Amino acid sequence: MKSFWKRLKNDKVGLIGCIGVLLVVIFGLLAPAIAPYRPEQMFTEHTMQSPNGKFIFGTDEFGRDIFTRIVYGAKVSLQVGLIAVGIGAIGGLVFGLIAGYFQGIVDQVIMRVMDVLFAFPDILLALTIVAVLGPSLTNTMIAIGIVFMPVFTRIVRGSVISVKENEYITNAVAIGVSPFTIIFRHITPNIMAPFIVQVTLGLSGAILTEAALSFLGLGVQPPNPSWGVMLNASRTYMEFAPWTILFPAGAIVFTIFCFNLFGDSLRDILDPQLK
Amino acid sequence: MLIPVLFGVSLFIFFVMRVVPGDVAQTILGTDATPASLKQLRENFGLDLPLYQQYLNWMGGVLTGDFGESMRTGKAVLPDILNRFKLTFELTLIAAVISWIISIPLGIIAATKRNSKTDFSLRVVSLLGVSVPTFALATVLILILSLFFSYSPPVGYVGFFENPIKNLEIIILPAIVLGTSMAGAVMRMTRSSILEILRQDFIRTIRAKGAKEKVVIFQHALKNAMIPILTIIGLQIGTLLGGTVIIEQIFSLPGLGQLVLTAITQRDFVVVQGAVLFIAFIFVMINLLVDVLYSYLDPRISYK
Amino acid sequence: MYKKLMLPFLMILLLVFATACSDDKSSDSSGKDGKEGKSDAEQTLKIANDQEPAGLDPHKTPAHSSVRIYSKIYEGLVTFDENMELVGQLASDWEQPDDKTYVFNLVEGVKFHNGREMTADDVKYSFERIMDEKTASHISSYFADIKSIEVMDDNTIKFELEEPNATFLTNLTNSSAAVVAKEVVEENEDLQQVAVGTGPFVFEKWVPDNSVTLIKNKDYHVKDTPKLDRLEYYTMKEEAARLSAIRTGEIDMTTLTSKSAGLLEKDDNVEIKDYQSLEYSYVGFNTENKPFNDEKVRQALSLATDRESIAKVVWDGKAIITGPITPAMGDWAIDVKDEELYMRNIEEAKKLLADAGYPDGFSTTITTASTYADMVDTAQLLQQQWAEIGVKAEIKQIEWGEYIDTWSNKTADILIGRNGSGTDPDRAMNYFFSTEGSANVWNFSDKDYDKLVEEGKRTIDQDERKEIYDKAQKELLELSPNLFLVSPESYVAVRKDVKGYTPRAHNAEDIDQTYKE
Repeated sequence: MKSFWKRLKNDKVGLIGCIGVLLVVIFGLLAPAIAPYRPEQMFTEHTMQSPNGKFIFGTDEFGRDIFTRIVYGAKVSLQVGLIAVGIGAIGGLVFGLIAGYFQGIVDQVIMRVMDVLFAFPDILLALTIVAVLGPSLTNTMIAIGIVFMPVFTRIVRGSVISVKENEYITNAVAIGVSPFTIIFRHITPNIMAPFIVQVTLGLSGAILTEAALSFLGLGVQPPNPSWGVMLNASRTYMEFAPWTILFPAGAIVFTIFCFNLFGDSLRDILDPQLK
Repeated sequence: MLIPVLFGVSLFIFFVMRVVPGDVAQTILGTDATPASLKQLRENFGLDLPLYQQYLNWMGGVLTGDFGESMRTGKAVLPDILNRFKLTFELTLIAAVISWIISIPLGIIAATKRNSKTDFSLRVVSLLGVSVPTFALATVLILILSLFFSYSPPVGYVGFFENPIKNLEIIILPAIVLGTSMAGAVMRMTRSSILEILRQDFIRTIRAKGAKEKVVIFQHALKNAMIPILTIIGLQIGTLLGGTVIIEQIFSLPGLGQLVLTAITQRDFVVVQGAVLFIAFIFVMINLLVDVLYSYLDPRISYK
Repeated sequence: MYKKLMLPFLMILLLVFATACSDDKSSDSSGKDGKEGKSDAEQTLKIANDQEPAGLDPHKTPAHSSVRIYSKIYEGLVTFDENMELVGQLASDWEQPDDKTYVFNLVEGVKFHNGREMTADDVKYSFERIMDEKTASHISSYFADIKSIEVMDDNTIKFELEEPNATFLTNLTNSSAAVVAKEVVEENEDLQQVAVGTGPFVFEKWVPDNSVTLIKNKDYHVKDTPKLDRLEYYTMKEEAARLSAIRTGEIDMTTLTSKSAGLLEKDDNVEIKDYQSLEYSYVGFNTENKPFNDEKVRQALSLATDRESIAKVVWDGKAIITGPITPAMGDWAIDVKDEELYMRNIEEAKKLLADAGYPDGFSTTITTASTYADMVDTAQLLQQQWAEIGVKAEIKQIEWGEYIDTWSNKTADILIGRNGSGTDPDRAMNYFFSTEGSANVWNFSDKDYDKLVEEGKRTIDQDERKEIYDKAQKELLELSPNLFLVSPESYVAVRKDVKGYTPRAHNAEDIDQTYKE
């Protein structure tokens, strides 16, 4: 663990990413303390105001403070991203390892099921899941997670197959090391690089998918703020109230950006061959 | 492989469409509907039959090449799908090519100059591509072009073989938007995969033998790095085929995504089922292609 | 070896597949129009719509996206003129021997687009098709009162009703009460993909999710009409795309929201035309479920609702407060401004809630459709406004297909939506709120009200009728099964070189006399 921090400290880019991620997390967690107003509070006398002393990021069509909504939105977006990617990544890791390691009939079954899931257009799959479970934030996260699972499974499986061909694995199999040990001790660490890159990409994908789903009414329910929802709603006002789109977009870009920087340096740090 | 997946998809989509709340008859007839007209319409669509029979009727048609007719518009489903597939396929292909042109060279440069300023700025740019939502990018693009350049894409869609120039003019903007959003991911995958390979023993050996860096990168590293890159590309093309919905909507393109989306909101079962089955078919074909490419690139992987 | 063959094989398969898809009929037809469209003399009007038409069968498709197109192709017996007065369309005139009988004399020499002359038999066939259960027509209930249809001669037709019905003639103006040609129906099973009418424009082609093209009917029975040679409808769901296309002149006409319309006001090439629409937004209660079974609760919520603020925030101030009959219907609408329940009064609302047994308010869920931003916005405002009397409402926005399902199955407690109040008060009153009304999804039932609206339907004398509906509206406001909110203005952006076009609430796309300079 110690070496982890040391290595992170040496990687300035990764450090910037890490700080950025922490900042977003802190914003999300301490939203009530940081935000000057409540996210659903409407100042109907002050609709569509450009950034000023009272509302530093301006107000939206209801006269709600955009800064406040961005701060609260951090929480929603983080939740969506982490839980959805969590479901997709863990599921994908497990199935991908099994499929890639054992191959044969197990592989066939798992991959065909994943293909069925993946061959479904994302939005339709999410729509179905949410329609069956009912629209809510949690169900949206589950839906996005399941949509992501085949991607992770394929990537993990692909890497496992490629790693498995390495001599040290074939040797381990030959001397009778249990599959469990091989998978976790020898294969997993070696497939982490593409996996983590995909996780960081998945986080941005989740936040964006959430926005697309919100567009169809399957996402975060109003008046809860999520960046995707804010971005989507403000597209109409882009021309005469650019701040309504600028700040949510900025928040998304910043967050994804930091997650990715952090992810890149994590990739290097976790890579056993660099130790 | 083709058969079980398509069979699974057909079963899945068929039952899913029956579980999702909503009624096609009510959606078509709207507020003017009477109970009698609703019942009659459902009967006309054969929705009063037992589920297994509905499924068999549908599959029977599909196997003989008859995907049925849209409940909403009465249009034959398969010709419509094929027609729209041309557009979506073209859009996907051009977007993919745009993204490769941008991303693979940049990925290689970034990897070879790891942790340099070039690497860092390339990563920043690629990240921006990933992090801006395509719908926001598309709307901003439309707005800027019309406000500052008095330009908007032509409205009437024509196929490539009818009028290639107009067709490309229509396709190019959405393709650029999609391509940029894809480029980031492909570039990052290229960069990280090449770094991965460069660290491996056989590269060290090659280097130790005194091979030129160019040879190392292009002859050895790139070829080996292609597997994860291909995975990403395969996945992206697959996703795009069913996932260009938002871009198609913003640029008013009559593609597959629009067809599926409208059909879902209208609960037009026949169209949703047919389109999903078709997308699944294409998707499986692309996977097959990627798998075959795998075995070309890495002879150790045997193609079964 | 096998491996090596697989790749080229797959490539070829994909290629063959892609090219195989490319030869179908829509290709050739659009290929030639590219050249035709260039000639100077030809007048082409390009209209962008936000929705794709559902189908073209007038008897089967109520969707507005379809109506706006098939109403240019088909005609009915009568129609409304620009002052919303009844005038003949396919009927030259009509008489009423008694309250239950209508005899229409048809315009002579009217031809279908396939060249065949239209006769009274076609009129009879069309109405029989509407009334036939097998057609599952959405407007069958409009003509449920018809007892018999009799062809007197080629140009005369007689309708006999079961009972006097004041709505009969206005129902005939509905674009769906169109006269169709029997042989076309028989040949194609239905009219969703083909269209042969008697109207000013002839259907040419439909490219799904992109465009519908109509061309001028040279044999149209009204002289010098239409002025345009071609009418092209484009489906552009994205408002930003429509805005951009009208700016650059890619299209000539489109509908826009008030916000985008405001942006175009300074544009020299575009003119904004607005009109008061026949639509209104509402809050619907399931009047069987607690606590909304108590009219006091519904009244309290009406008192807690700030309609001015809804008009201002949701519609940019471009909407007027309305009752069940919108002000665009002229005299039929009562003035709601001074209604007690329309004046926001938090104290009184709290008192009513306490009387009903909810001194601390209650929790509930507002259901709305995510497809329409204005509905979601309205829900968010109401949530804030009602919180002031202790009503804690959660918003549940659902996708359109599910919304329709919720609407028809009455599974929501509170539903936010928009209704069209039609062109006859019977629709606004009877159809949505009488116990048997086919769109009464509120479980609302009031015997006195039922009696009133039934009387309204059977009373032919207009003054008497108005008195009845005035009373009914007052009663409906008092009982508040729905809270009627505001009726928005609609906007059409038109390029400046388009002349002779005025949108009206009952006919927003009257382009018969429109031409381009």
